[in-house]
Amino acid sequence: MNDGSRLPAGFEALEPFAARWAAESAAERDRLRAESSEAERIAFYRAGKDLLAPALASLDRRPLGELDDREQCLLNLMLGFAHVAIAVEVQGDLEEQRARLRRHLRITRSSADL
Amino acid sequence: MSTPAITHPSPSNEELAGLGTAPIPAGPYYRADYFELEREAVFGRTWLQIGHESELPEPGCFIVRPLEFARASILVVRGRDGAIRAFHNVCTHRGTQLVEESGGRRPLFSCRYHGWSFGLDGELRSAPDFERFYVEKSRCGLPRVAVDVCAGLIFVNLDPSPAQGLREFLGPLAPQLETLHVARATGFSEYVYEIDANWKLTYDNFQENYHLRFIHPRTGEAASGPENPFGYPEKYGLHGLHRTQTIWTNPGAVPKPVQAVAFGHLLRFLSPADLGSVYAKEYFALFPNFFLFGSPATPFSHCVMPLGPERSRGVVRLYWTGADQCASQRFAREYSMAVTREVHAEDRAVIEAGQRGLSSGALEHIHFQSHEVLCRHLFHSVDARVQAWKAGRTAGALA
Repeated sequence: MNDGSRLPAGFEALEPFAARWAAESAAERDRLRAESSEAERIAFYRAGKDLLAPALASLDRRPLGELDDREQCLLNLMLGFAHVAIAVEVQGDLEEQRARLRRHLRITRSSADL
Repeated sequence: MSTPAITHPSPSNEELAGLGTAPIPAGPYYRADYFELEREAVFGRTWLQIGHESELPEPGCFIVRPLEFARASILVVRGRDGAIRAFHNVCTHRGTQLVEESGGRRPLFSCRYHGWSFGLDGELRSAPDFERFYVEKSRCGLPRVAVDVCAGLIFVNLDPSPAQGLREFLGPLAPQLETLHVARATGFSEYVYEIDANWKLTYDNFQENYHLRFIHPRTGEAASGPENPFGYPEKYGLHGLHRTQTIWTNPGAVPKPVQAVAFGHLLRFLSPADLGSVYAKEYFALFPNFFLFGSPATPFSHCVMPLGPERSRGVVRLYWTGADQCASQRFAREYSMAVTREVHAEDRAVIEAGQRGLSSGALEHIHFQSHEVLCRHLFHSVDARVQAWKAGRTAGALA
């Protein structure tokens, strides 16, 4: 199948966000969050919150080392969603101010990057 | 049914510990001359956490850590015999810094200047044209640094003859630490920050909860509640130079939806040993500059290393056992690291503001309330060592 989709079947609703948010490292995912607008974060959050559990359940069916490109993209997207969810659910209107504080804490290692 | 209200009396052990209630002098939190004394009296002769065994999984694996307060670089190596050894990272020929990488794996260490090569045991193995020197190879090994491990955590002591071994130094906390998740960890996530603040001022922020409701109004929601609006700990413990607090969490706190997913997956992968831990709410503060949280769900450590009287570096790690097994676990670990960093980012900014005020010299004293007893204890512990060092130096000069 070569329909241009980045994600596995069933997650088409997240397709508009894949190019923007599916980064490959924790530091990069944090950077994307910091550089995003509130509207971008809320749009991603609304699209992703009900698909998080199905996405993880789907990905859990295979070992991490055996994920294909679309599954890996979905995983990276969900890891980016973790950062965005903190911005939307926890920080809310404090997010932009908190982003300025976070930039001083450099992510040097993540279990997802190993 | 409502949760029974808990009370938060002043720590009863405060007076017992002889800490008193007097204001604390502000100078030690910014003065360069006091910091110079701390370098010698505290950091130059105390066990300092510098790494974790998981960074040295096989013979030949090494890490290099700068200790700026001593203008030193420490090389920690796992030898062919499996033992962990630490050395000053200097070639014994003419002092060139031997290893430039922060970590890796090598069969030996060769100086790029004149090719002197050292084994994993620190012994000089070869040196070009060595017959022209006036010294024996056996006297040219890398300078040793005292090193020991507890709970997987690697500690070094720059004192050539430490007054105490690591176990004695940690006292009754050592066997407690050995039961924690960190003792079984095989890896970690990490973030690092530098801060324009004295190491004690930085460290103190993380051993009092008085600031929670003001600095962490969103990220700290679960740590306070109507019956404990300041999120004060359930109890404190003073253990010689070290401290513990048993944290309180709001049983009525409702996690955010994604937060609930993440923490659900974290708990799902915990081992029976982790789930049964009696230290899951214990927050260990090891003298002088190291924290370790006992929670197996968010098992983070935090080391505050002094870089100067008004400059420090924080290294925060979340320790994990085993590589990520599946997407859910990877998601949970990513979320956990991100949300912990969120809290520390909020702290860093206000600590720097505190330093700016203190460094102005406007205050002669600062004040600690009863629930800042751990800050008071740190100051007393440091100052006792500083004063003893000064007295010894004076006595030596008069002798």
